[in-house]
Amino acid sequence: MTAYREVVVRTPLALKLLPILSVATFFIAWEIVVRTGVVPDTMLAAPTTVTQLLLDKFTNMDPDGALLHQHAWVSIQEAFGGYFLALAVGLPLGLAMGWFNVAEGLARPIFEIIRPIPPVAWIPLTIFWFGIGLPGKIFIIWLGGLVPCVINAYVGVKMTNPTLIQMARTYGASDWQIFKQLCIPSALPMVFGALQIALACCWTNLVAAELLAADAGLGFMITMGRRLAMPEMVVLGMFMVGLTGAFIGVIIDRVEKRLLAGIRR
Amino acid sequence: MQDAARPRTKIEVCNLTKRFGELLVLDDISFSVAEGEFVAIVGPTGCGKTTFLNTLSCLLPASNGQILIDGTPANPKRHNISYVFQEPTCLPWRTVRENVAYGMEVKGRPQKDIDERLDHILNLVGLTQCANLYPNQISASMQQRIAVSRAFAVDPDLLLMDEPYGQLDVKLRFYLEDELVSLWRKLQSTVLFITHNIEEAVYVSERILVLSNKPTRIKAEVKVDLPRPRDFMDPEFVRIREHVTDLIRWW
Ligand SMILES: Nc1ncnc2c1ncn2[C@@H]1O[C@H](COP(=O)(O)OP(=O)(O)OP(=O)(O)O)[C@@H](O)[C@H]1O
Ligand SMILES: [Mg+2]
Repeated sequence: MTAYREVVVRTPLALKLLPILSVATFFIAWEIVVRTGVVPDTMLAAPTTVTQLLLDKFTNMDPDGALLHQHAWVSIQEAFGGYFLALAVGLPLGLAMGWFNVAEGLARPIFEIIRPIPPVAWIPLTIFWFGIGLPGKIFIIWLGGLVPCVINAYVGVKMTNPTLIQMARTYGASDWQIFKQLCIPSALPMVFGALQIALACCWTNLVAAELLAADAGLGFMITMGRRLAMPEMVVLGMFMVGLTGAFIGVIIDRVEKRLLAGIRR
Repeated sequence: MQDAARPRTKIEVCNLTKRFGELLVLDDISFSVAEGEFVAIVGPTGCGKTTFLNTLSCLLPASNGQILIDGTPANPKRHNISYVFQEPTCLPWRTVRENVAYGMEVKGRPQKDIDERLDHILNLVGLTQCANLYPNQISASMQQRIAVSRAFAVDPDLLLMDEPYGQLDVKLRFYLEDELVSLWRKLQSTVLFITHNIEEAVYVSERILVLSNKPTRIKAEVKVDLPRPRDFMDPEFVRIREHVTDLIRWW
């Protein structure tokens, strides 16, 4: 025990202090640059102004028509709606495409046509079809999340050890048995990778969709800030997008660890 | 010891030929195996031993000829064929016990039968203690023993083994060969065992088929009629071993 204590790895002092120093310098410099007028306050808001707005926005609906957490909640709902739909459709589709020739033959060409189109390019059509409410945005987010789900599940199945498949065949296993008993378990690590990647995709596309067509949400808040010439609202919106995204990332990470521990291999 | 009238023919291979494009690998091979017989196959590297087993197990279609099990064309869905591959084939997400059960599950045996059979087999091979471990928690040789147990568990009509112990050290190999022979005698399966190692072939089998170079034919057939347990030092053992070695060296 004591022997171990001597080799406890200590974080070097430089790595403890320097981050604080650099962050502090960054914000102070930002504040000074705006306060002294080097950058006019029509272009950028000082951190203190943004903080003020942040506190104010919890109770004040003006001028964008909703409270801060309401915007965030709208965005989260849209993101998760699209995300879960993408998982529900993309994972089974990708798994099936990886093993069944019929599924690959039918779905692959269409998937390859749709894949290179950035989800944002669908926005105009989506507005024709759904207007600017929740369903349209969920559709865009779903499209964006679908791609990594399908690809990861597909590649995961393709990576199944061929000798295992031969082994199952000699025991007389049917295609369906092999798919269920070998391909899906083999693909699981890739599928879990897809959970993370798809969520990042969904969040990015969400903000893009809200910037262009929305009446609520964090992206909408950023757009309103621009229209109303309020840089502090733009910065606050950006900050909230980053913060919420990071928060969701942490949650998914937790869930993934829990699930992976459940199917120990 | 197996001198009593031979049981009926179990496997019959008729004019088996396999080509990969222009390359003729198996050239018109015919032989038969009696029920419960243990046959070893030796041959030079690259002569097509693995191809031979893959064709017998229907993983590869034969270019010509046929394989009959109990008089009907071999079919993995109808017959119980087991194949122990050169490399370990454990399913990493299943425990030892679940791995041994896999073949029986595929064949849809009732759970009660599976459990009884598992207890029996795991006991025979001494894997009961590690029944609930996962493959990444046990050694490579253990993994190969799991594959062998899984193969015996389905009561195979035909058990194919492709150099299952090629990677192991000598001492462990002797041990596992003994285990294999005792499993075979207790469970009375029909076994085709491929190996590079002539001593191993003489030690385990009742009959040795010596293959030629490509295009591969059966060059000779050697009966091994020695009592068990066999002794490597026994002059008769040594004579047979040298005889087979000569047959192979001829090339
Ligand atoms: N799928 C294939 N396509 C073309 N040629 C093949 C194929 N599989 C095997 N061969 C050829 O058939 C021959 C026999 O191969 P095989 O793997 O059966 O030999 P082997 O006797 O098992 O060799 P080893 O002793 O090294 O295990 C080789 O010359 C190989 O090049
Ligand atoms: Mg081989």
